[in-house]
Order: sequence, then structure tokens, then C-alpha cells
Amino acid sequence: MGGGVTRQIARFVPAVLLALLLLGPLLALLVRWLTSADNVSLLAFINTSTLLLVGKSLLLSGIVAILASIIGTICGFLLYRLKFLFRGFYKMLLLLPLLVPPYIFAVAWKDGFQWLFGINSAINPEIGMIIVHSLVLFPLAMLITGTALSQIHSGLEEAGLMRVSFRRMLTKIILPLIRPALTISFLLILIISLSDFSVPAFFGVNTFTTEIFTQFSAFYNHQLAISQSFLLVLLCLMLLLSENKYLSDAPFFSVHVKGSSTKHYSVSKGKTILHILLWILLVVVLVLPIVMLFHQALSGREIFFSRAWELLSPTIFQSAKLAFLGALLISATGLWVAYLKERSRFPHLNTMLLLTFIIPSTVLGVAVIKFYNQPATNFIYTTILILLITYVARFGFIAARIIGNGIKQIPGSLEEVARVIGIPPVKRFFSISIPLLLPSLFTAFVLSFVLCLGELGTTIMIYPPGTELMPVKIFTIGANAPLALTSSMTLISFGVTMLFILAFFLTGKIIFNRFRYE
Amino acid sequence: MNKISLEHITHHYGEKKVLDNFSCSFEEAKNTSIIGPSGCGKTTMLRLIAGLEVPQKGIIKIDETVATENEKILLPPHKRKIGFVFQDLALWPHFTIFRNIAFGLKDGKGGKVSPQVNQILDLFGIADKTRKYPHQLSGGQKQMVAIARSLVHQPEIFLMDEPLANIDVKVKEEILAHIKHLKQQLGFTMLYVTHDHQEAMQTGDKILVMNEGVIEAAGTQKEIGNSNNHFVRSFIKL
Repeated sequence: MGGGVTRQIARFVPAVLLALLLLGPLLALLVRWLTSADNVSLLAFINTSTLLLVGKSLLLSGIVAILASIIGTICGFLLYRLKFLFRGFYKMLLLLPLLVPPYIFAVAWKDGFQWLFGINSAINPEIGMIIVHSLVLFPLAMLITGTALSQIHSGLEEAGLMRVSFRRMLTKIILPLIRPALTISFLLILIISLSDFSVPAFFGVNTFTTEIFTQFSAFYNHQLAISQSFLLVLLCLMLLLSENKYLSDAPFFSVHVKGSSTKHYSVSKGKTILHILLWILLVVVLVLPIVMLFHQALSGREIFFSRAWELLSPTIFQSAKLAFLGALLISATGLWVAYLKERSRFPHLNTMLLLTFIIPSTVLGVAVIKFYNQPATNFIYTTILILLITYVARFGFIAARIIGNGIKQIPGSLEEVARVIGIPPVKRFFSISIPLLLPSLFTAFVLSFVLCLGELGTTIMIYPPGTELMPVKIFTIGANAPLALTSSMTLISFGVTMLFILAFFLTGKIIFNRFRYE
Repeated sequence: MNKISLEHITHHYGEKKVLDNFSCSFEEAKNTSIIGPSGCGKTTMLRLIAGLEVPQKGIIKIDETVATENEKILLPPHKRKIGFVFQDLALWPHFTIFRNIAFGLKDGKGGKVSPQVNQILDLFGIADKTRKYPHQLSGGQKQMVAIARSLVHQPEIFLMDEPLANIDVKVKEEILAHIKHLKQQLGFTMLYVTHDHQEAMQTGDKILVMNEGVIEAAGTQKEIGNSNNHFVRSFIKL
């Protein structure tokens, strides 16, 4: 009895604390919105311009979601279901844009447009935003649909191929089977595009997210920013609820999908065309942005490069340190939340992380400032703790799902057999579960690290005094500096990110080889 | 004397009732084979006896001591002196064969070869595999390791959940012979779950035929062979 109560307390007290830290700001924001409307209708801010802005944001993000889903689904099929040389190489490189902060691509393409079409180019910033978001987010659709395609048992397709043509089997069997993945990739890209601050901000596109930032940070119209935030949260929630079940399990965030024997189709004809197409995509997605950054950076002569290094170098260590701490905290939280969901049938914290994951960055920024800017919580508000809490809120869900899907692949019997022979729970956890989860834990850590390193939307609103971070520095300097300087800084930031990714990739290779048991 | 007793056990997974007011007992040092179609409650019964699951109603006694009563575990799994061989064998993939067997033994730390472990490795003919990992072994060798791991703790009750599924007849016969030999040596009470009636007849002093959470028939090979129960006759194809 006593042990049971202690166990319950040990489980629920940290859960309540986490909920308070992450959901508290959002609930407080809701209360603030409901109680301080100055006797004016709560919905008074909804006027023609607001509705037009909502419509514009939805339209832009909708186009992005359609384009990215189409490109991603095609790539998903090509790279996950066809058998050809260098498949892994293409997959790895095409997933790279997901790991690089989107603002880097935004600066590169903005440079590119100016380089190609001149400063007063007719290229609309909105088109720039659509291009960058589509190119940065299509790998997500590729990952989601590719994972779903990998989980279709070969027997289902072979049974179909006995009766109908490949094309008919594709439309009548494969596509309906991956329908949830297609829906979720569309919705997720829509939500992420709608929530992103960095790309529209760099292009100077007024979207709902940038508008909230402007109202809050430039015009100090907190009431309007809060009201707009709620409209955006409501939009995201409506999108989330339509596919909540599939999204909360997020099978696509996993290191290794075990089980089904997938059918791989060999490419006999058209191999050359396939390679050419994939190379064109690689050039557009990766090579071109880097070339454009280099071109712009070097056009300003060496002086800009050394100035960029001078400005950015003090931020590199601090950014890396913060990203490291953030990734540690996110991974630990993710492990705990995933364990509660998968092994203790306590999914509520996972749902909470899903909710904070879909909250747009600037909305989270507003909520966190309003909640923690109090005398009692000054120790959080004025230190890096506020950034760490926000990072957990923003990226904890991804880590929890990567680790959760890893836990799902460990048969419960491995822990049960240890239980039967009397291995204590802590020893069971560290001797059996953790070693088997190492690849998932490592992936969650790496992904969290790069996401924290490039986070801008919330960080720019809440970074405490004395903290200098790479993306914030580039954004603030970039507002008034020559393009060559911004490009040089972005190129350095890209180089730093790639160095970290390379280091993690090499470490990951060792970990994955050492801890692969098949 | 009854080694294990299940009294009025009701257990369900969500809406699905697996065992309903189920009672049965198992005599000490006897082999009982439990057969029945998939989903009839065989595995659930083993898991309840091991204390890995808690029934919604009923009492489970081990050595006349109440181990589980009405949703409460009174005797935790490791104090039930049980060896459990799971259907998927549950070999720890990141441990060597030696560590798989020695894990949890007090003198098995630091890679020191304990005599207890060596003895069981020799007995199962896998002494030369100690440095290998489970994925480097054949199906039959994995089964041997899983059984050896359960027996190294010298259990009084040995639960086997279809451990010999998907292996060839020759290896199966070899393993069954090992188990018989060990049974005579150690004198444990064995519950052997299978869906193969020939394996059940070969292994059990007593056979229990289950269907939809109910015992259709129980008795010796001969008694089961003479059973008039329609389900038993059709399932065993008498």
C-alpha cells in the first residue's frame, strides 16, 4: 500500500510539474485573454484585415503543404521502394534540409533572387517563402510516406499484382493504405509552415506569425498579440484534431521500423532518368542555396567575411552549449514521457507535448513571457532556464516519439524475464532498456540539438540578457546590414551546423554499428 | 499436494474476457501440458501464475500461499521461484550468451565464469557459444539458451510458453529430451503450453485442453485419448 502510494506520487508529482511548466503559460494566456478584454468583445480584433491575414497565411501554407507533400511522396516512393544504386546516399542528403535551420535557406534564396533578378526583382517575397518552405519541408513528407510505404507487407502488393496492373495496384492498394500518412504529412507541413517565423520574417512576408511578433515586440500591443495568438492556436488545434490519433503515435519519427517484409521494385529501364531527376532535386535543394550564399558572401570581399566571423564567433560556443543542454533535457523528458506512454499506459504527457509542439513559435514566446515575467519566477525568466523550458515545449514531442517508437520495438518480454528472475527495476532499466534504446536516444538527442541550435521564432522573443545566439544575431544584424554580411554570417552558421551534423553522423555510425543486434 | 492453484479467476483485456471464473490446480513435481487454439487463455494463465499480470478477480496460490488476490500481487514474480521461457524466447540481444545466463546470479558479475553457469552450458551443449550474441546462434541454440537461462536459477516451477514453435523435429526432440532429463534431476513442476497435441502428449504427465477460457478436458494421455468431448476430439483429431 505504502509502496504503491509512493510510486504514484513519484509518477504524478513530476508529471504535474512538467504540465505546469509547459502548459501553465498557455493556460495563463487563455485566462488573460478571457479576463482582460477591457469590456470589449473578446472577438473584436477579428476584422477584415485580420481575416485577410488569416486567409493569406492559410493560402501560402496550403500551397506549401500541397507542393511539399507531392514532392515528398514521390521521393518517398522512389527512395523507400525502388531498388537502385546510391539510394541511401540520396535519402541521407535529401533529409538534410530538415536538420538545417530554415532561415539559412531563406537567406540563400533571398540572395539568389537578388543575384538573378536584381534588387528590385519582380519575384514576390511570398513566392520566395513558398519555394523555401516547400524545399525545406518536403523531406518531412518523404520521411512520413516513406515510413508508411515501408510498413506495407509485400504479400498485400503481390496479391494485387496477381490480378491487376502495377498502376492499378498503386492507386487501389498502396495509396489507400498510406492515406493516413499522406493526410498527416499534409497537415503537419501546413501547421509547421503556418507556425514558422524565420522564413517569412527573412523574406519580409506578413503572415499571422510575424504579425503576432510585430504587435507584441514592436508595437507593444500585447492584448492584440494575445488575441491573435489564440486565433492561430485555434486553427492549429482544429488541424491537429482531425488526425490526432495518428499524429500522437507519429510512427514516422522512428529510427528503425521493424517487422514487415517490404517489397522493393527493381528499376530496369529509366535508371539514368531517375538519377538525373534526383540530382536535379539535390542541386535545387542543397547545392544551389550553398552556391548562392557563397556568391553573395564573396561578392562583398573578404572584409565582410572577417566581420561576419567577428560578429558570429562569440555566439557559436554559447549556441552550442545551449543546444547541448536543451538536447539533454529534451531527450531525458522524451524518454520519461515515452516510457509513461508505452509501458505505463499514461499517454497524457505525450498529448501535452503534442499540443505544445503545434503551438506556433511566436505564440509560445508571448505565452512564456507573460507567464514567467513575475517576481516569483524571475530566476527562470532572466536565465537560460526560460529557453530550455521553451525548447522542451517546442521539440519534446519529436524526442518522445522517436524514443517511444524505439520502446515499442523492444518486446515487453525482455523486461519481464528480468523481472521474473528478480532484477530490480532500476537495474532493469539501465541494463536492458537503455542499451537497447541507445540508437533512438542518440537520434532524439541529435535532432533536438540541431533544432535548438536553429530555433529563432521563440528564442528571439525570450532570450535573456547577456545571451548571444547565432540565429538571433543573424536576424538582428541582417535587418540593417549589407546582404553580403548577412550571407557571410549565414554561411558560417551553415558551416557550424554541418560540422555538428558530421560529427554526430560519425558518432552515430559507431553507436548504430555497436548496438545493432540482427 | 498442489503446487499451484487458480481459484475463480476472471481476467479480461479491455472488453475481451479471456478467463471467466476459471479454476484449476497443478500438482507438485508433475508435468502438465496445456493445449488449445490461439486466444483460448493458455498464455494468459502462465502470465497470471508468474505474476506478470493481475487478474480482475480470483486467487492464485503457490505452495498454498496466496500469491495474487483480487487485483493485488502479494508475492512478486521473483519470489515465486519461477522459470519462464517466453514464446519469443526474450533473449537479451545486447548480452553475450554467458551474460544472458549469468545475469541476475550473484556470482555472475564481471565475466567470471560461475560453476553454476558452466554446468548448465555443458548440459545443453552450448559451452562453446558463451562469447557469442543471440543473433549469432541458430534457432535451436537460442531455444537451448532460453531454457538454460530459466533453469540456472533452479526454479521450483517451470513455465514454458510454446518455446519449441518453428524449429525442426530433430532439434525439438533433442530439447525435449534435455528438459525431461533436467526435470528428473531438479524435480520442478512444469507447465508446458503448446498448440501441438503430439508435443503435449510427449511432454505432459497430465494434459489440459482449453477453449475460450474454459477447461474442456483434463487428464492423462489415455484419459484425453478416450474423451468423448466433441471439442477435444476435433482439436486433437482423435
